[in-house]
Amino acid sequence: MLDSVLIFSLLALSLGLILGYAAVKFKVKGNPLVDQIDAILPQTQCGQCDYPGCRPYAIAIASGEAAINQCPPGGQEGVDALAKLLNVETLPLNDTYGETKPEHVAFVDETLCIGCTLCIQACPVDAFLGAPKMMTTVIEDECTGCDLCIPVCPVDCIHIKIIPSTLTAFASNIDEVKNG
Amino acid sequence: MARHKFNGGIFIKNPYPIDKIKIVPAPLPSKVVLPLQQRIGEEAKPCVRVGERVFTGQIIAKTEDDFCVPIHASISGTVVAIDKQLTPHHSGLKSGCITIESDGKDEWIDTNFGINFLRSSKKTLIEHIQKSGIVGLGGAGFPTHTKLNNLKNCHTLIINGTECEPGISCDDALMQNYPQEVMRGIEILLHICGAKHVIIAIEDDKQVAFEALLKYLHNDKIKLQKIPTKYTSGAEKLLIKALLNIEIPSNSFAVEQGVLCQNVATTKAIFDAVELGRPLVSRIVTVTGSAVETVDNYTVRLGASFAHIVNLSKPNTNLHSVRMGGMMMGVDVDNLETMICKITNCIFVNNRQKPIKTQGCIRCGQCNLVCPVNLLPQQLYWYAKNENIDKSLDYNLLDCIECRCCDYVCPSHISLAAYFVFTKALHANKVKEQNKVNIARERFEYRKYRLARNKKEHAEMMAAKKAQLKQKMADDKTQKDKIAAAIERVKKNTKNNDDTSI
Ligand code: SF4
Ligand code: SF4
Ligand code: SF4
Ligand code: SF4
Repeated sequence: MLDSVLIFSLLALSLGLILGYAAVKFKVKGNPLVDQIDAILPQTQCGQCDYPGCRPYAIAIASGEAAINQCPPGGQEGVDALAKLLNVETLPLNDTYGETKPEHVAFVDETLCIGCTLCIQACPVDAFLGAPKMMTTVIEDECTGCDLCIPVCPVDCIHIKIIPSTLTAFASNIDEVKNG
Repeated sequence: MARHKFNGGIFIKNPYPIDKIKIVPAPLPSKVVLPLQQRIGEEAKPCVRVGERVFTGQIIAKTEDDFCVPIHASISGTVVAIDKQLTPHHSGLKSGCITIESDGKDEWIDTNFGINFLRSSKKTLIEHIQKSGIVGLGGAGFPTHTKLNNLKNCHTLIINGTECEPGISCDDALMQNYPQEVMRGIEILLHICGAKHVIIAIEDDKQVAFEALLKYLHNDKIKLQKIPTKYTSGAEKLLIKALLNIEIPSNSFAVEQGVLCQNVATTKAIFDAVELGRPLVSRIVTVTGSAVETVDNYTVRLGASFAHIVNLSKPNTNLHSVRMGGMMMGVDVDNLETMICKITNCIFVNNRQKPIKTQGCIRCGQCNLVCPVNLLPQQLYWYAKNENIDKSLDYNLLDCIECRCCDYVCPSHISLAAYFVFTKALHANKVKEQNKVNIARERFEYRKYRLARNKKEHAEMMAAKKAQLKQKMADDKTQKDKIAAAIERVKKNTKNNDDTSI
């Protein structure tokens, strides 16, 4: 009788210790919900949602502070995806935050640029390359098209360039296929 | 006959057979349009200007991209335009092209740069092949030099003498007319790849071509092998499976497994480039279909319009539907003004028919039986239709070779392959976008970290400076104290001295 009590209490103790250790050791770092929301957001980092970037907005959504329809670059598709993730009714995109624009990047008219470097400081993803009093330029592959650099330029030499569809990046029209 | 085989595939009779295959040289076109975009890689940049005079074989556009080959003028004359035009591509998008108007003289650039291959290194030959603008002429247009450069421990060289699809006879015509050139080309390839065996694969209905090649077969490393005339047996990976029983996984290339596969027309082009010093400026094209009177093969300069050779085959006056490439895997084009490019192996001109109405899938399972790569098109169709990319990938979407065998047998006339092409494109776009998003996230986070680090470093620097200053002041103080003490001491001493002197 006594030894069985002893065995079981030892067993319970050791298992408890293991579980306790595992809980500390394998604790999920960060907030998984925020990560999931952040994965859906387009990472344009434009701040149109009234938060200083996509992750802060993700945190605000996760805490229930912000609505899910404030991100114009993500478009209606993005709102729907968020609704699905959070298991809530989807909402129409709130156009007071701006409208969805076609995919584009910024480029600097290098003949006009005076090298003030204000754009370098404005860019949320460090897509600018340049030196003070020389000139700056945009690394096209890194630009997210957030347009934050456009208003800060004192000589208005930053413009946007729409990315045209090319033969190598082309998806056929599914409706044609379905009706054909 | 091939020892091994793959499952599926279909037997299709050539709908427009020819009794005697011959090659008709087409007259020099008065104008050629040469597209700058190749199958992969970036668009070539023109290195001629509008108004400039060019010679046949002159390089008119090139890129730094290692995948690409330069583009050569296919006639001599004047560059009249560099602009965007429709090219034979199923997107219907325009892409950059150079237009040359002929002066009717066909003056070549100096072509005396043929080289003795036996005395040349592998590298020189591959560079020469790239410079000569050679890409796979079987229909896929994959750059030949890329294949050769990626070759690893090559043990077998396969020369693909199968027509990729029923109805096309340009490779057959080439083998019948240029067997010696093909054999010389094989020797060059053998010199480059150092393979132990060469297999020339020919379909069993091409007896004349088989005998023509046999006449020039003088190397025991080379073997001629007949394979059944079954559709999709010409596809590279399936051909390798049939001949060598080696399966090439979907994410790997044949060259990585030591097998080099080259089309016969490409082999002849390599001969022309290396021995004669001629870049690729023309090709053999089959013109066939229900709307032409004579089905024939033509040698034609690249960039000529479809109409240029279709007219030689006397088309009727009905409304036509035109298709580039085979009846299975070809691309529909709008009209006969489209240009002939390196991958144009065949032009189908058919009387226009009403499109057949598609019906719902009746789950008959026919498609599952014919798929040469053992997919389940019926299941896949279900997911592709609902744009369910993840599930489609689970069903090995990426293995689909877009052969349309499944379409061919489907009693409901569903364009299954079109769904798969679409879903593949969706997947590719998603992957690309995801990459971009991940980079943006990383850079945003890094910037935050960088700003915080700068701030911290700045604060630390300030703190350090402050401490230094304090230290200095403190040091100053001790110094001052010392000086004061010294003065004090001196004063005291003088005082004492004064005392003693008295
Ligand atoms: S609006 Fe959208 S893209 Fe812009 S910062 Fe907010 S979440 Fe990111
Ligand atoms: S370059 Fe301009 S538009 Fe592009 S990400 Fe930076 S700030 Fe935004
Ligand atoms: S198109 Fe794709 S799914 Fe259909 S038979 Fe060919 S490989 Fe199989
Ligand atoms: S062949 Fe057509 S109808 Fe039959 S299972 Fe396949 S898709 Fe469905």
